[in-house]
Amino acid sequence: MEGKEKKMPDLFPKETTRRGFLRGTAVAAGSAVAMVTVGGLAAKTAHAQAASPAPKKELMKYLFAERENCTGCRGCEYACSVYHTGIVRPSVSRIHVMKYKDSIDVPIICWHCNDAPCVAACPTTPKSIIADPNHNGIILNEKTCLGRKCLKCQEACPAQFVWANPDTGQPLMCDMCGGDPACVKACKDQSGDPQGPCLVANKLGFGVNLAFRGVTPDQAGKDLLDLTFYPNVDGKRPTPAKTKKTRRS
Amino acid sequence: MTTPKGGCFGKVLEIDLSKHTYKAREVPDEIYQKAIGGNGLGAYFMTTEYKAHKDPLAEDAFIYVGPGPLNGTFCVSTRTSFANMSPYTGLISHAEAGAHFGNEIKWAGWDGIYIKGKSKKPVWLSIVDDKVEFRDATKIWGKDTEETHEAIMKEMKDPYARTAVIGQAGENQVPFACVIVERFRAAARSGTGMVMGNKKLKGIAVRGTQAVPVVDNMKFMDMANYAKKVAIDRECWQGVKRWGTAGLLELKNFVDGSLVTKNYQTTWYPDIVKIGAEVANRKFWKRHVACNHCPIHCLKLGVIRDGKYRGLIAEGPEYESGGLLGSNLGMTDFNAMIALIEACDAYGIDNISTGGVLGFTTELVERGILKPADLDGLKPKWGDGDTYLELIRKMAYKEGNAGKLLSKGVKKMAAEIGKGSELYAVHVKGKELAAHDPRGDKARAYSYALGSCGGDHHEGASTRALVIFAMINSLCTCSFASALIWGGENAKITVGMLNPLCGWNMTEDDYWTTGKRILTMERVFNVREGISRKDDTLPIRMRTEKLPAGPKKGNIFTEEDTKKMQDEFYSFLGWDAKGIPTDATLKAYGLEYAIDDIAAARKEYNL
Repeated sequence: MEGKEKKMPDLFPKETTRRGFLRGTAVAAGSAVAMVTVGGLAAKTAHAQAASPAPKKELMKYLFAERENCTGCRGCEYACSVYHTGIVRPSVSRIHVMKYKDSIDVPIICWHCNDAPCVAACPTTPKSIIADPNHNGIILNEKTCLGRKCLKCQEACPAQFVWANPDTGQPLMCDMCGGDPACVKACKDQSGDPQGPCLVANKLGFGVNLAFRGVTPDQAGKDLLDLTFYPNVDGKRPTPAKTKKTRRS
Repeated sequence: MTTPKGGCFGKVLEIDLSKHTYKAREVPDEIYQKAIGGNGLGAYFMTTEYKAHKDPLAEDAFIYVGPGPLNGTFCVSTRTSFANMSPYTGLISHAEAGAHFGNEIKWAGWDGIYIKGKSKKPVWLSIVDDKVEFRDATKIWGKDTEETHEAIMKEMKDPYARTAVIGQAGENQVPFACVIVERFRAAARSGTGMVMGNKKLKGIAVRGTQAVPVVDNMKFMDMANYAKKVAIDRECWQGVKRWGTAGLLELKNFVDGSLVTKNYQTTWYPDIVKIGAEVANRKFWKRHVACNHCPIHCLKLGVIRDGKYRGLIAEGPEYESGGLLGSNLGMTDFNAMIALIEACDAYGIDNISTGGVLGFTTELVERGILKPADLDGLKPKWGDGDTYLELIRKMAYKEGNAGKLLSKGVKKMAAEIGKGSELYAVHVKGKELAAHDPRGDKARAYSYALGSCGGDHHEGASTRALVIFAMINSLCTCSFASALIWGGENAKITVGMLNPLCGWNMTEDDYWTTGKRILTMERVFNVREGISRKDDTLPIRMRTEKLPAGPKKGNIFTEEDTKKMQDEFYSFLGWDAKGIPTDATLKAYGLEYAIDDIAAARKEYNL
């Protein structure tokens, strides 16, 4: 997919994209992989850098999902796939929004664990995935990754975040878009009164990311369902049987 | 014949339920340019493949489930269209539903699903990319839409699959049964549920991993981003974001004077404050849910917190469901109204027609035309939720006298009952009106009277809007987030996205021509079934009874209003005074194939 896309469209208002992106490319300059992935836009933005040096902006290192704010619009999936491949294709999006029991939307993100179990599980030498020291994004080396027959990283991820690319079989890793995640911006754009944004990027993880990562999507969905629909009705949740009966009565 | 370059794949999934086979049916780019997709493509198939007086439940009658070219791309909020010949009205019909179902069809690599044939055993369809399976639905036959959805999702073993299913009403051949998409969205008003039930097709589940090809991605993204930005920024739509369409309940009662009340008798219902958006917000709503890529998230989910329905998770009220199953039935108990809405969703029966039928029945009982003995001893009265719930159940199962009678719809009920009940039957072309009273909201009459489906609120509230809505329903965009919100820029934005997406050279004039062509195609179908100017009117009640109260007190829809509306519309589309497309018009729109059909219809109906 990357080979086909010579040009990358601007997804967001120009200044934001370029500023954020320059930071990303400057950091990733040493990494050939990142340059391949985002080559088109990097070349394009190089001019902008020469013309007007962007003010310094700190790189984000962690993602956080305020799960109860998710409306299930999948703007993040759209933004992620457009950022990485140029067109909308949720099956290669890193981030995903899962419907749980028809009524709850669960955003599934990479928590960017400090100990990165996915990287630890990678069997190749040198590692095919590395956590970037500057923005914590997981960078995939497509040349050395064993792809479909391995996917040890997928097994190792406690948050069940990692999907395999349906074309290549290689894992889809969150690279933090080089420190300025596209999903966070898309979420902020889409949200508003009365629902605030769900996705947040942070410089610090506060350790919360490590605590959250153990929650599987299904557990998160179940928690949210209870939290959203049955919080304090005299402390009891009606049994499903009762719910069914009332409908048919 | 050329293959589409972008936006569409050029292949529609053709399913034959009789033989349990499927194949890819090629559709050339020219057809997409002519009919766009969704409802337009459905209308094209129907006018070219059906002869006049087709039986909508024949074995080779089909349902076209169609997303449009913009589905699955960066375009904000796209939906799904279900087009078929309605067994309820006998006319061309289409229904649109939100959620992610249409996009998933596109991502599976199909431009649409064309379903014909009849299965001997109940089946459901599993479509994963180009893999199609006919799965046994014997075990879920007879279950409601929620249970069906859950059973199918369990068998799909993929939480990212999307479903469209029918409930008991579709199975039992209620003519206004609907398709429930992803549990809470309804593609209703077209009788698609009945056709699916007749074909023994319980549901469809789709999952796709492909992408929609784009010809000029840079240009397309520029326009799609602009369109999204407009959708986010437009001030006037923030209310829908906050309150959903339920916010209109209070607005239409206190300001516009067009909230239907007690079988469309009046538009003044002060009790709306007990069942409107404000109460919903205080007592019921818990979540805002969006369709794909939509910043408006108008669907509100809630849970009933007290009383006998405590713990019931449901969707609503929307303006139409809260109007028809709320004020139109004189409901004052919010929870009972939500139970009615949820019952309709669960049985897979159209909220609007159900509300119309129940209101009509209640008025007839009140006037003594119907006796409780005709209704299995039930005596519906305004605001009586329990009786209404029981009647809805009877309708869905066609149980007893009441079920059999009510599931016919008001037009046939009035014909069967007689005794002057026609005066109170509020329908256009056999379909009940939605919740906007055309006496208070005169523009809405365009949609009801002139729209192709009859009695439908979603077909545009002016001559130009009718054309725009023909495009909306064919592109499967959302009338809130991805069409009307663009205001005067609608044609510009749509063309600006379609050209780089599909590699077309459409101009803004072509946008209007295409919309008119789609409307004319639908009209050709309806003319063949005997529709002409005489049918493009409002119900007797709207034309003879003045509004007794409310902000629009004394309003009536006069004959002059009707005439003005019809003349304006017919001349805009190039139809003659009888509302029939002329030969010159058909040629101008490239619909030469319909000239003979129209000539035959003129002869048959003496037009």
